[in-house]
Amino acid sequence: MAAVSAHRAKRAGALATAGTVVLLTGSAQSETIPSYNTYGSPGLIDMPSAEMAPDATIGLTYGRIGDSNRGSFSFQITPWLSGTFRYTGIENFDHPASVDGVYYDRSFDVRVQLLRETRLRPAVAIGLQDFVGTGLYGGEYVVATKTLAPGLKVTGGLGWGRLGSYNSFTTIGDRSEVVLGEGGVPTYDRWFRGDVAAFGGISWSPNDKLTFELEYSSDDYTLESERGGFKHESPYSFGAQYRFDNNAQLGLYYAYGDTLGVQLTFPTNPKTSGIPGGVEVAGVPVKRRAAGSASDLGWTTDLEGTERSLEQRMTTNLAREQLELVNVELGPRSATVWLRNPTYGAPAQAIGRTARVMTRTLPASVEEFVIVPTENGIPMSAVTMKRSDLEALENDAAVEMLARTSISDAYGRRTPEDLVTFPRFSWEVAPYFDYSGFDPDMPLRIDVGARAAASYEIRRNIVLSGEIRKRVIGNLDEISRESESLLPRVRTDYRLYAKEGDPFIRYLTLDLYGRPAPDLYSRVSVGYLERMYAGVSGEVLWKPADSRLAFGAELNYVRRRAFDGMFGLEENVTVDPVSGIEREIPDVNGHVSGYYAFGNGFHGQVDVGRYLAGDYGATFTLTRDFANGWSVGAFATFTDVTEEEFGEGSFDKGILLTIPLSAGTSRPSRTASRQTIRSLQRDGGARLDVSSRLYDQVRTWHEPDVSNTWGRFWR
Amino acid sequence: MGTILAMNLRTTFPRIGLLALASGLIGCSNDPYFEFPVQSIVPTSLRKQEPNSEITPQAIVETLSATDLPVAFLGVPDRDSQVLLIRIEQNGPYETFANPERQSVTMRHGMITGTRGLSGDLMSTEEEALLALVRGRRAGQVTYIQRYLTPEDVTEVITYRCGVEPDATVDVSIGLVQDTATEMVAACESADGPPFVDYYKVSGSGEILASRQWLGENLGYVAMQMLQR
Repeated sequence: MAAVSAHRAKRAGALATAGTVVLLTGSAQSETIPSYNTYGSPGLIDMPSAEMAPDATIGLTYGRIGDSNRGSFSFQITPWLSGTFRYTGIENFDHPASVDGVYYDRSFDVRVQLLRETRLRPAVAIGLQDFVGTGLYGGEYVVATKTLAPGLKVTGGLGWGRLGSYNSFTTIGDRSEVVLGEGGVPTYDRWFRGDVAAFGGISWSPNDKLTFELEYSSDDYTLESERGGFKHESPYSFGAQYRFDNNAQLGLYYAYGDTLGVQLTFPTNPKTSGIPGGVEVAGVPVKRRAAGSASDLGWTTDLEGTERSLEQRMTTNLAREQLELVNVELGPRSATVWLRNPTYGAPAQAIGRTARVMTRTLPASVEEFVIVPTENGIPMSAVTMKRSDLEALENDAAVEMLARTSISDAYGRRTPEDLVTFPRFSWEVAPYFDYSGFDPDMPLRIDVGARAAASYEIRRNIVLSGEIRKRVIGNLDEISRESESLLPRVRTDYRLYAKEGDPFIRYLTLDLYGRPAPDLYSRVSVGYLERMYAGVSGEVLWKPADSRLAFGAELNYVRRRAFDGMFGLEENVTVDPVSGIEREIPDVNGHVSGYYAFGNGFHGQVDVGRYLAGDYGATFTLTRDFANGWSVGAFATFTDVTEEEFGEGSFDKGILLTIPLSAGTSRPSRTASRQTIRSLQRDGGARLDVSSRLYDQVRTWHEPDVSNTWGRFWR
Repeated sequence: MGTILAMNLRTTFPRIGLLALASGLIGCSNDPYFEFPVQSIVPTSLRKQEPNSEITPQAIVETLSATDLPVAFLGVPDRDSQVLLIRIEQNGPYETFANPERQSVTMRHGMITGTRGLSGDLMSTEEEALLALVRGRRAGQVTYIQRYLTPEDVTEVITYRCGVEPDATVDVSIGLVQDTATEMVAACESADGPPFVDYYKVSGSGEILASRQWLGENLGYVAMQMLQR
């Protein structure tokens, strides 16, 4: 048969006129990404603007002005708040800390939009640039941006600090020159103080590909002129920016009357990148029971026989959905399925597919479905729904089913033996990469190699697992920088581990999981817990199934591992290579933790306790978690170690970034890449890195996370 | 049978795929659910669109002679793809049609209310009022709702206001379906999504025999024809 005949559109005109009006005014999704500047924030060329990127935009920028190279990571934390982390390398810079003439520096910015742009008033934002640290780029600003005509924007602002260094017109108070602590603490004694200067500019986009920019900068580049080869000939810079189809931006500028500038930005957004709903195959549809069949209890006379044949069919059917049946228990009116989910990143999708399989396999009289997801053999929650609701709401909004689903604690439910026999052995071989950043000798070092991992499940909640890694190519072993530490070298000996450990055992532990009481989860791990430490780690977590709040406690007894990463253990004593002083690592460390899901995706965690070096304090973590598995966050640790003892950076802090594998494949997956970007790893505030902590396993199957992913229930 | 509806590749990350391919490393495991990152990325982002084998009259004859169940044709012009779908399940007035590639389309009296496995799926609709006018071949104004997942996995609800009008009476003769039908036109607009115009060929008994229906920005307009009822 020929292709489908095209439908005629003759009458469409009149009916659709109203529709075109909607098109012209644009929909909510057409939020455009503003032009970025060389500092990696929305702005002109070097100067900031009052613009905000669309909510949740992640911008990776390389910018260069003269001899200054800037690599930036920016995140639109909320629609009105953005943050930027930057790593700068200034070439030909005469400074004691320069390596081969290159001076490296890290900086953080924040920007708050105070007013959104309206027809009459401009957008107004206030920002702190390089507000923690040594303050090389330290500056504050208040800026306004107004769209005068489509594509034409003007920006004007006032700057302090670096942004008040050229042609200032007044001075407000004294600006401190002192570096607080060892750098790395908020430079609150400088903010909005000292000389004030004006900056501004115009940007014009004749179409959605090109933008021309002209800027008047209030930055004198004093340091770069004094110590480097910068020549400040003019406050004016101009150039053009091109926008590619994937929204990447490339800008070329003639800057400060003497030099060239480049800016390349790759924006991405967890909320809008990827294929909506994914590309995986359909789940099975609900099978509606024939009218009247629900009262047929004839099959209950041979309950055992029915259950046996059911186990078989359900195992096969769930396997087709890439799910594993742990066991099923059948009653006349109710059935419980214990489930293992190796596939779906969205817990609601695993539950939804299981529920649909249940409608197709269970006898008609079974009205109540209970799904008990398990992790490492322990039940995480009990998801209860009615079969008649599933039948009635298959084609309705997913929230209708959510409203009729209850998620409760699975503690105390008799858990039958697994259908599969133990022990179970699984292994995998795959590539890995590892990196070390921000070393002035080599700002980024990378290892690529092969990893072999295996797990041996002795019983369903007792797992022996390990991983060994072998470098194939890389340069992590070339780290040569030695810096003195005034603390036991609990982390700063990393260099030696990287150098001598090839291959190395990343971890080799025996983990025992349990449910000691209602709402309580437990873990005991014994063995080589992480690359640098072996020992025993015990954890208890309290987390009611419907709660946003959880508390945990962890206690560890550690022994330092040998540098070669094999089975050897060392005394818990380290020798500082610079001072030669011996220091002892305490045997015991541990934390109590509080976790809270604020809603809107924001998630907080506070860990209070004793760190590896014996220091006491707390770690504060705030992340924004997206339903599709992306997560962006930051943490900071404050302990009783003084800034002098801690050394460069003053305290431990960093950025957390989780990218789910499904972001690249658009297929469901529980695998994710989790990166901690620390500007510097010192010995204070360092926590043991146990990989099998309970909270992430447990929260997945509890109310807040299941609800957040509920859109995928019928997917 | 039908070709796999090609995925929208524009939004994947070809860069990751290339990088992964370049690394040339091989992974393996005894675990059936093991995902080897490189393997699972490369096929998605580097796979070219399947060569578009148009559904041939022969394929239709073969399918229709092999089953007595209702059969529908679905064409997605934006993706240059066509599939034949056989009814696999009924839930009240909703009928789910699917192919062996596990792509499915759910229809109510021929109006598409959901898709699965096509990528960029329509998750569900509130079609009661629109369907009543279309089936009754009456003119009127109704509210119609479509629901999609965003890339963030959040449900996006688009509420449309639709103007419905009957048009000409036509003879339908497709596959084994032969009937006289009234063409219905539904023009819909919303503040939250692009406007569209749907066409339905509705039989005397109120069944939609063929349609061109808007299934969102990812799928675009989709052509459906009942080949066997």
